Amino acid sequence: MIMQKKEIIQTLTLIFRGTFGQPTLDLRDDLTANDVENWDSLTHMLLITNIENQFGFKFKLKDLNKMKQVGDMITLIESKLDIHPL
Amino acid sequence: MTFTSLNFLFFFTIVVVLFNLIPQRVRVWFLLFASYFFYIDLMPVFAILLALVTGCTYLFTRIIANSKSAIGKHRVLVLGIIVIISPLIFFKFFSFVNLVITTLLFRCGLHVSLPTSSYILPVGISFYTFMAIGYLIDVYNEDVESESNIGIVALFLAFFPIILSGPIERAGNLIPQFRKLQQTTYSDLVAGAKMVLWGYFLKLCIADRLGLYVDLIFNNIHTYNGTTLLFASVLFPFQLYADLGGYSLIAIGVARCLGIIVVPNFKRPFFATSMSEFWRRWHMSLIKWLTNYIYTPLSFGLRRWKMSGIVTALILTFIISGIWHGAELTFFVWGLLQGIYLSIEVVTLKKRSEFKQKFCLNKNPWYILISCVWVFILFSFSQIFGRCGSIGDAFYVIGKILNVLGKIEWLKLMPSSLGLFSLTLLLIKDFLDEYYPNRFLLFENKNIIIRHLSYAFILILILTMGVFDSGQFIYFQF
Repeated sequence: MIMQKKEIIQTLTLIFRGTFGQPTLDLRDDLTANDVENWDSLTHMLLITNIENQFGFKFKLKDLNKMKQVGDMITLIESKLDIHPL
Repeated sequence: MTFTSLNFLFFFTIVVVLFNLIPQRVRVWFLLFASYFFYIDLMPVFAILLALVTGCTYLFTRIIANSKSAIGKHRVLVLGIIVIISPLIFFKFFSFVNLVITTLLFRCGLHVSLPTSSYILPVGISFYTFMAIGYLIDVYNEDVESESNIGIVALFLAFFPIILSGPIERAGNLIPQFRKLQQTTYSDLVAGAKMVLWGYFLKLCIADRLGLYVDLIFNNIHTYNGTTLLFASVLFPFQLYADLGGYSLIAIGVARCLGIIVVPNFKRPFFATSMSEFWRRWHMSLIKWLTNYIYTPLSFGLRRWKMSGIVTALILTFIISGIWHGAELTFFVWGLLQGIYLSIEVVTLKKRSEFKQKFCLNKNPWYILISCVWVFILFSFSQIFGRCGSIGDAFYVIGKILNVLGKIEWLKLMPSSLGLFSLTLLLIKDFLDEYYPNRFLLFENKNIIIRHLSYAFILILILTMGVFDSGQFIYFQF
């Protein structure tokens, strides 16, 4: 079953809330680590692991440098899940 | 010629003037010449090593950039890292490895003496080695393009404001600036001069003043009681902050006077409310380097272990950081402690977040104060290991602090009392910048009288209270 972008964002929101202990956190494309409490290099790897487990794919080390903000993350997840935006 | 010498002030002034007079096309080569002149003045023979590391870095980055094969690129990367890091390991750990082997052989009944090295650690080698490795990895990861002009690569590694003790820069920030060196603007000159002035104040009026007391106590730990040792242990983190923070500000300010923006190294570390936040504010360029090139690959490789992987990567990263500071058990324990502190924080993150949200503690001033003090206590405790000459001395100091109380040696503190006054000024400034940004400005005040009175006040403090014969910066030894 192919996931739609909206579903990706919903799933990602739950992962973010759980990883950083922020139950009311909402995602937007330009959100960065500076905007979210507890999101730092230590917790970032927990986030990566949770995303991999939830979506069922593996990131490459090089991918990590490409994710500067949440929008980049969503684009990368789309490409990993082979979703091509219309 | 160090930053605190009069010669440096002459050198720096001449460099800034000439830099602005010469044509743009020769500015890179002029700065490269000035940087090597500065470095050679310290120890000529070590400039050869710097040039060799530069040549290797240039060669390996060019090969990686032009290689079509992924396996080939990876092999060149590994070879490049080994070649570039070898001199650092040789100079830093030769004596240590020698001692370990000799001791082991001795315990096996073999009295063998190995060849010894009488070389001293080339100043700045850690910093330019880290920058070279970072550049190599960034080119491999395609985060930056490999630079074809060897002059720019050489300047990146030898740039005189930062070669001795950082900040540890990344190629992605400095090399693009070196490609288009412009004349310095008035605002750059003023901003740079302000940083240099404040940096000298930190170094000469705080670090070196406090150092008179801290060094006296730590060099005679058997003479003083636990309370005095405790007081010196409390002062040492401030001395270190003012020393490396002051050095960094002078380096950043000097670079700014040439129109070059260098990354910051400290951001009011003693107002951090957790150890992880503390390490985002203390020696930031080193931590960023460790995060990018050691912690991230390690934790990424171990991520299948989930939390255990992160904890392992954290502890290993800080142990490496500790061993980099010195091949001694004290620095190993120092690194291990940082790793443990951060691991506990990351493991308890969710619980702590829930607790803070439940009791609305995020903006509670008492909670913030207690957190800041707690972070300071943890860091100061770890620094006892960083400051003592041996692990035995460190435990002796801790034991005495816990058991042998008494009166503080106030008389011994007299030469440093002016340092305490300056430290109070620094902490007030940091406090205002942290909690009331842009409200109580001195150097940046719009009123020209307040601004100039502030400059004059700090200058007078430096001239009247500064320690001008203390020698080196603490981080030169690393």
